[in-house]
Amino acid sequence: MNMLQRMLKMISYQENLDCEGFILKETKDDRKKSGPEKQDKDKEGRAKGSEGEESAQENNIERQYNEEGEQEQKGQPGEPAQDKKSEDYAGRQDVQGDKAKEGRAGKQAAGKSEDGKQPPSRKGMKRPLRPSEIKKGEGGKEKSQEKTGDYPPMSTSLKENRETIQKLYGLPENKDIVVRNFVLGTQPPVKGFAVYIDGLTDKAIQDLLFQALMLFTDDRPSNVGKLIEYVKERLLPAHQISVHGTIREVLDAVNFGETAIFLEHCADALTVETKGWEHRNIDRPVIEQIIRGPQEAFGENLRANTALIRKKLKSENLVTEMTKIGIQNRNDVAIMYLRHIANPDLVTEVKRRLDSIKIDYLADSGVLEQLLEDNPYNLNPQMLATERPDRVTGGLAEGRVAILVDGTPYVLVVPTTMYELLHTGEETYLRWQYGTFIRYIRTLAFYIAFLLPGSYLAVVLFHHEMIPTELLLAIAGNRERVPFPSVVEVLMMEFAFELIREASLRLPGVMGSTIGIVGALILGQAAVQANIVSPILVILVGVTGLANFTIPSYSMSFALRIYRFLYIFLGAALGFFGITLGLVGQVALTANLKSFGVPYLAPTGPRTMAGSDVVTRLPVFFSEKRPDYVNPLDITREPQVSRGWIKGKGGGGNDRSG
Amino acid sequence: MIDQGKFGSAEAVVLLAISMSARIFLHYPAYLTETGGPAAWLTPIGGGLVALLGVLIMGRLLAKSPDKTVVQITEEALGPYLGTAVNFIYIIFFISVAALFAREFSEAMLIAALPFTPISIVILGFLTVSILGAYLGLEAMARTARLTYPFIVIGITILLASLYPYWNFHNIFPILGNGPYNVFVLGTFSTAAVTEVILAGVIVQSMGGHSKINSIGIRMVLLSFFFLLLMLLFTTFTHNWRISSEFSLPFYRLARTIYLGRFFQRIEAIYIIVWGFIGLLKIALTIYAASVTMAGSLKLPDYRPLIWPLGMVVFIGSLLPVDMPRVVELDGAYLRPGAWLPNYIIPVILLLVLGFRKRGKDAG
Repeated sequence: MNMLQRMLKMISYQENLDCEGFILKETKDDRKKSGPEKQDKDKEGRAKGSEGEESAQENNIERQYNEEGEQEQKGQPGEPAQDKKSEDYAGRQDVQGDKAKEGRAGKQAAGKSEDGKQPPSRKGMKRPLRPSEIKKGEGGKEKSQEKTGDYPPMSTSLKENRETIQKLYGLPENKDIVVRNFVLGTQPPVKGFAVYIDGLTDKAIQDLLFQALMLFTDDRPSNVGKLIEYVKERLLPAHQISVHGTIREVLDAVNFGETAIFLEHCADALTVETKGWEHRNIDRPVIEQIIRGPQEAFGENLRANTALIRKKLKSENLVTEMTKIGIQNRNDVAIMYLRHIANPDLVTEVKRRLDSIKIDYLADSGVLEQLLEDNPYNLNPQMLATERPDRVTGGLAEGRVAILVDGTPYVLVVPTTMYELLHTGEETYLRWQYGTFIRYIRTLAFYIAFLLPGSYLAVVLFHHEMIPTELLLAIAGNRERVPFPSVVEVLMMEFAFELIREASLRLPGVMGSTIGIVGALILGQAAVQANIVSPILVILVGVTGLANFTIPSYSMSFALRIYRFLYIFLGAALGFFGITLGLVGQVALTANLKSFGVPYLAPTGPRTMAGSDVVTRLPVFFSEKRPDYVNPLDITREPQVSRGWIKGKGGGGNDRSG
Repeated sequence: MIDQGKFGSAEAVVLLAISMSARIFLHYPAYLTETGGPAAWLTPIGGGLVALLGVLIMGRLLAKSPDKTVVQITEEALGPYLGTAVNFIYIIFFISVAALFAREFSEAMLIAALPFTPISIVILGFLTVSILGAYLGLEAMARTARLTYPFIVIGITILLASLYPYWNFHNIFPILGNGPYNVFVLGTFSTAAVTEVILAGVIVQSMGGHSKINSIGIRMVLLSFFFLLLMLLFTTFTHNWRISSEFSLPFYRLARTIYLGRFFQRIEAIYIIVWGFIGLLKIALTIYAASVTMAGSLKLPDYRPLIWPLGMVVFIGSLLPVDMPRVVELDGAYLRPGAWLPNYIIPVILLLVLGFRKRGKDAG
C-alpha cells in the first residue's frame, strides 16, 4: 500500500511554483532566521523520539552547522572579553555569536541523532528540494535579506553611538570612513559627530553643511524641544534630510553617500543627502544605436537613470518604488510603472519576485534578469534589457514595468515578447513604410541567422537535386580541392567567425575594429587560398554573421548563435527533415514560454489582437489600442481619429489658390 | 480533472484541421483516385457531410455533461468497467493512428529525401519531437499549429499555383468518374474516416467547452475536406487519374513536377518541411490524446508520466509492419474502417444509452 502511494506520488503532477529545477534546502541564513522556531521543532521531535530518514538528514545538516559554529568559537579562544552590550550588536561578531548560539542549540538537537541509528552523511551535501515541495507562497513571505545581524537601538549617549559606529565600520582600520567631530554653535553648545564615506560624498555640499552647523548657528538656543527636529527644520539648509531611529537605516544611508549626523543626548540621527561620487556621464548608446531618434543612453547612476525616464515621461502617475537586493552590497533596485495604466497584478508580481530574491551579491541587472525570468532553461531571453530610455518609456506607456538596478546601464522591461526583442524603436520614429521595410529585412535576417548554415549543409549533403546544375558544378568545383567534409568545413568557419567576434570584443579600443577587418578579410582569403574552405562558405558564413548583427537584442542574438550550431548538426545529420524537427521543437518550446505570465509569442501565438505591431508597422495613427496581452488598465491609447486636423479643411486653408 | 490548458477557437480549428489533413500528404489521395477515377475530387463531399453529422452527434453527446470530456461521459454512460473498456478502444485507436502515421511519414521521408537513413532513426526523430510536443501540452501544440499554418498554406498555394502549366481541365471528365457507387458510397465510407471527431471530444474542455464544439467542429471539417477536395482536384488536373492512382506519394509527385525554368526546379525538398510539420503535429496530438484518455480513464491526476511509455509503444508499433505496402494495407484495411467505431458508432451508442437512462429515470 505504502509502495503504491509512493508510486502514485511519483507520477502525480505537482505544480512547479518557481519554474526552477531545484532549490537547495534551507540555508544557513534561513536557519538563523527561523532559529527559535526550529529549536522548538527540534524539541518536539526529540520528545517524539522517532523520526524518519529525512529528519535524520536534517540533523546531519544541523550538526554540520554546529561544527562550524564550534570551530569558529574555537578559532578565537584568546579573545579578550568585550563589553557585552556592544558585542551583542556588533555586526560581524554578532553573526559569529549567532553561529555559536546555533551551535549550542544544534548540539542539543543533534543529540538525538547521535543516539539513534543514522547513516553517516557526507559533509556539505544538501538534498535538492523540488520547487513543488516548497509550500506555495513561502518564498513570497520570506523577508529577503533584510538583516545580516541584529542592530541595537540608538543610544542617547554620543560616546556609545560613536563606539557603535566605529565598531560596525571597523575603525580605525577602515580608512575611507570618516568620523568628524564637531560642536554645534548654539547656546549652550552641543557636541556631535558626522559620519560619511570619503569619495562617495560631495565635498562642496558638506562644506555648506558644516558651515551651517558650526558657524551660522551662533547664539541660537539649543534647548527648544526635540533638538534633532530643531536642527532638521531650522539649522540645516540641505535638500533631503531624514531622521532615523535605527543604526541599520543610518548605515544604509551612509553606505549610499549620505552624511549621518549624531548629536549629544539624541537617540536619533540625521542623514543628509550629500551624494557626489564619480560617475560616467550620459552618453550615446553603445549597443543599440539608431539613426533617427533620441541619442542618449542610460548610465550607471540609478538616480540619473530614473530621471532620464521621468524626463521623458512627465506624468504624476509615474511611480518609482525602491527596494534593496543583495546581502553584501544591498544594491538599490527601482521599479517604475504608470499607475493608471500598468496592471496592478503585474506590478504585484514584479514586487513579489523581487522581494523573494536572496542573493549574496547583486552585481548587475543581468544577474537580476536570471533570477526573475520564468524559464531559466530556455535559450530565449524573456526580458527586454535596454540601454535606451525611449524604449523604456515606450514600454511604460503600454503598461509594462521597468526594473532598474543601480550600477548598470541596462534597464529591464517586463513583460516582453519575442517580437519586441526584434524591434528597435527606430521603426516607430521612421515613416511607417520605411519602418515596415526595415522590419521585413530584419525578419529575413532573423531566419538566416540561425538557419542558413544548417540549410546549406542539408542541401549539399541530402538534397542536391534542389541546386540548379550550374550552381551545383560551381560548388563542386570549389569543394574539389577542400579535404574536409562539408560539416567540418562549416564548423571550422563558424568557429573562426565566433573567434574573430570574441577577439574583436576583447581587444582594446582601436585595435578591436581593425582585427575585425583583418580577421575577416585576410583570414578568409588565406583560408580559401590554402584550400581549407571553399569560397562559397566564406560568403555564407559572412552573410550569417551579418544577419546576426542585425538582431537588436544582444541576448537574442546570442540565442540565435547557439541555435545555429544546433541546426548545423541537424542539417548535417538528417537534412531538411532534421531542420524540421528542430523548428517544430523550437517553436513548441518558444510558444510554451511566458514572460511574467504573458505568452512569449503574443500577439500571434496565441493570437490576441488583429493588426498589431509585429512585423508590418501600420501608420502611427492606427495604433489606437495598447497591446492587450499586457492587460493594461486602459486599453485605449488614443482616440479613433488621432489626427484632428483631417476633420477640417485640408492644409488649414493654405492650399487655396489665388 | 487534468489541466489541459486553454486556447481559442481559431487555434483549435487550425490544430484539428492540420491533424485531419495529415493523411492527404501520404498515399491516401492515390487510393481515392483509384476509387473515384476522374471524379476522385467529389469523394470528400459525402465524407464531409458524414463528418459534419459526426460533429453534431459529438456535440449532442458532450452537451449531456457540459463540463466533462468524452472519456468521462463514456464512463458515466456505461459504468466504470464497460466505460473504461470503451475508453481503451479510444486509446488503442489513438496509438494505432500515431504508430501508423509515424511509420507512413517516415517511409515518405525515406522515399523523398533520406534513402540511406535507417527507418528507425527517422521514426525516432518524429517521436522525439512529438513526445516533446505532447509533454509541453495542448496549449503549446495549438500555438505551434497557429504559428506554422500560414507557412503551410503559403507553401501549398505556391505548389499548386506552380503546377498551372501542367493543368489539363479535361482530366476531370467523365464527371462522375468510376460511377456514382464508387464516388458517393465507397468514397464517402473512406473519406468519412479521415475525420477524428473523437479527438475533439477528448480535448473539448481546452477549446472552451461543449458550446464551442459545433462551431469548431464544423469549421475544422469544412477546412480539411475542402483542402482534400482541392488536392484531389489539382492532382487530377496535373496528372491523368490513371497515372496519379499509381503514385505512392501523390503530394511528393506534384512537388517534383514543378519546373519554373532552369533555376527553379525540383524544389520538393522544401515541401519536406511542410510535410514534417504536419506529421509531427499529428503524431504529437494523437500521443497526447492517448495519454490524456488513459490518464482520465485510470483517474490519474496527470497525463505526462504516461507519454514516455506510450511513446515507446508507438515506436515499437510503428516498426512492426514489414514494409511500406504493408503499412498502406493496414491503414486501408483496418485503421480507416476501424475509425468508424470511436468516431461515429460509439458516440451514437452512448447517446442512445444516455437517452434510455434519462427516459428510465423520468419514468421511474
